[in-house]
Amino acid sequence: MLGAGVWMLAVHPDDWAGRWAGLVNYLRVSLLILCALMIAAGAWQSGRERRRDIDELIASTPRPGWQPLAVSWLAVTVAGVAGLLVAFAGAAVLVARVATYAGGGWWWTLAVGVLALAAAVAVGVLVGRLVPLRVAAPIAGLATYLGLAIVTYWDGTSAAWLSPVYGGWAVYSLVPGRVTALQAAWLVALTVLLLAAAARQRRAALLAGGLAIAVTVPIITGPGTYRLPADPAAVELVCTSSGPQVCLSRINAFLIDDVIEVVQPILARLDGIPGAPRRAADQAAQPAGQPIDRDDGTVWLNLDYQSTALGGLASRKNLRADFRQVTRARCEDPSGVREIDQRVYRTDTLATDWMLDGAATPDDLPLARLRALPEAGQRSWFAAYLDAAHRCDIPALIRLGEQP
Amino acid sequence: MTTVSVDGLRVSYGKRVVFDDLDLDLGVGVHGLLGPNGAGKTTLMRVLATVLRPDRGDVRLLGHRIDDPAALRQARRQLGYLPQAFGFYPRFTVREFVEYFAWLKEMPPGQIPLAVDRAIERVGLLERADDRMKHLSGGMLRRAGIAQAIVNDPRLLLLDEPTAGLDPEQRVQFRALLRELGLDTVVLVSTHLVEDVVAACTRVNLVDGGRLVFTGLPDELIAAGGDGDSGDSPIERGYTAVLRGARTAPR
Repeated sequence: MLGAGVWMLAVHPDDWAGRWAGLVNYLRVSLLILCALMIAAGAWQSGRERRRDIDELIASTPRPGWQPLAVSWLAVTVAGVAGLLVAFAGAAVLVARVATYAGGGWWWTLAVGVLALAAAVAVGVLVGRLVPLRVAAPIAGLATYLGLAIVTYWDGTSAAWLSPVYGGWAVYSLVPGRVTALQAAWLVALTVLLLAAAARQRRAALLAGGLAIAVTVPIITGPGTYRLPADPAAVELVCTSSGPQVCLSRINAFLIDDVIEVVQPILARLDGIPGAPRRAADQAAQPAGQPIDRDDGTVWLNLDYQSTALGGLASRKNLRADFRQVTRARCEDPSGVREIDQRVYRTDTLATDWMLDGAATPDDLPLARLRALPEAGQRSWFAAYLDAAHRCDIPALIRLGEQP
Repeated sequence: MTTVSVDGLRVSYGKRVVFDDLDLDLGVGVHGLLGPNGAGKTTLMRVLATVLRPDRGDVRLLGHRIDDPAALRQARRQLGYLPQAFGFYPRFTVREFVEYFAWLKEMPPGQIPLAVDRAIERVGLLERADDRMKHLSGGMLRRAGIAQAIVNDPRLLLLDEPTAGLDPEQRVQFRALLRELGLDTVVLVSTHLVEDVVAACTRVNLVDGGRLVFTGLPDELIAAGGDGDSGDSPIERGYTAVLRGARTAPR
């Protein structure tokens, strides 16, 4: 589990770096694989007594059968969880250095993840008891992987909450506390049910099964996994006090120095141009479920996967690309389809390159001609472009592209 | 004093009846259990070890009926068992292995460390106590198995082929251990090695074809043999004579 945890963390640091919620959410996403591994481990351990021909010796001892079974389950669970937590503790050290938001109840998300791993081992223990084959462990692991993937990703219905695997939603999304509590109860009941069944403790199995069913009902009749609300404290904006305004949500505020370095020069370049944005803000803070006002002078920055493992900005190029929304011609039909003249795209590219002050290639004559204009002329051209793009004035856009 | 009492025992595997109406009484001391292959020695051991439920019959171990769950648990606390083929966890050390069984036998936790060391010492494995089981030879594994069987100072000790894999010196030491244990314990030793019986057992039981065909002192078994019987030693001749007599006698 240590190796699996390290591997998972190394594959996608942009999913978790710099954010406590991101780290535990990523753990819950990783359960898709980790649960499968734990089930395989539980099945392997459980079948070991039979393979080692030690079951007869154990059967002659007075200790009730559920106790060695519980010890066996606990040993695998503790070992697996400890290995995983060691891996994630390393990541936690990196997160702790830079994180700017520690709320959102991430520890409950973590706790339910641990319960899920314990339940996974219990599944394995039962499989190992029931199926006297060595292949039971790998097959159970594979089946779990597929089953969890189907439950988690099939759709966003509330039944998906029965899977402990998170669907990879945004780090600032807030899973309702009620759902977390029900998931915890469901996983505990499932664990007891499976262990009781493996130990042939009928009464305990019936009780746990009843509890599991009782918990399942409110889960599958509650709201689904789609359109989770944002954590208001996580998306509260933290803004710069000098220079063109840049605002990041609190959960992403650890990136603000790197973001300012990229964004403020662009905003400064656009300062005073009619129709150009005056500020940049974290897309995480956009009001949920409402159309975005593209005319409020704000460039929305997508910072969801914009962190390196050490907490720096992952891609300046992607951040600059967020400014393309400024120059994008609003030529969608009501269905959102854009079918416009290629020359408009070229003008769009010209405007974007000027705005971002990118390096021009020697054969990029339009950009060279634009930059050859006096500063006031360049700004006037860009203002005209924004106006035409706003109105989707195709002839004007083509003309601007040909005569900068 | 009878501490193991079997009355009217019937055991079968499907249609094959292994024992039918077997009676057996064992008191304190070392009891040899002899018999040819397939005679039912291991089946009897498994019944007494409470891992095989008989079809019928009254079995009392140390005064406890084994068909009563509470009494069965009491009996198992005072039971030591070494099956003919016993498994082990290869990554466990000898000490961990014996400790695990001390725990399974519900020994008080405070007594376990000392009891484990004592059991390992009695089988001569103290120097290898921290070796992993997978690194032990066949004879050492057998001794580790005996250590787990005696760790709880059982009042009833069942050993199925305990000397298999032991070298001559270890067998001599083991017989001495058996004699020591037999002073205050019911020890039942199933074996093919009749010389072990002569050397260590106070009484001998011989089963054949699902019947108890002889029970008595080793000297009585020796006396049952004559010069004309096959065998290299007096007890082997007694053994073959008793078997021949049982097989020719009407049932």
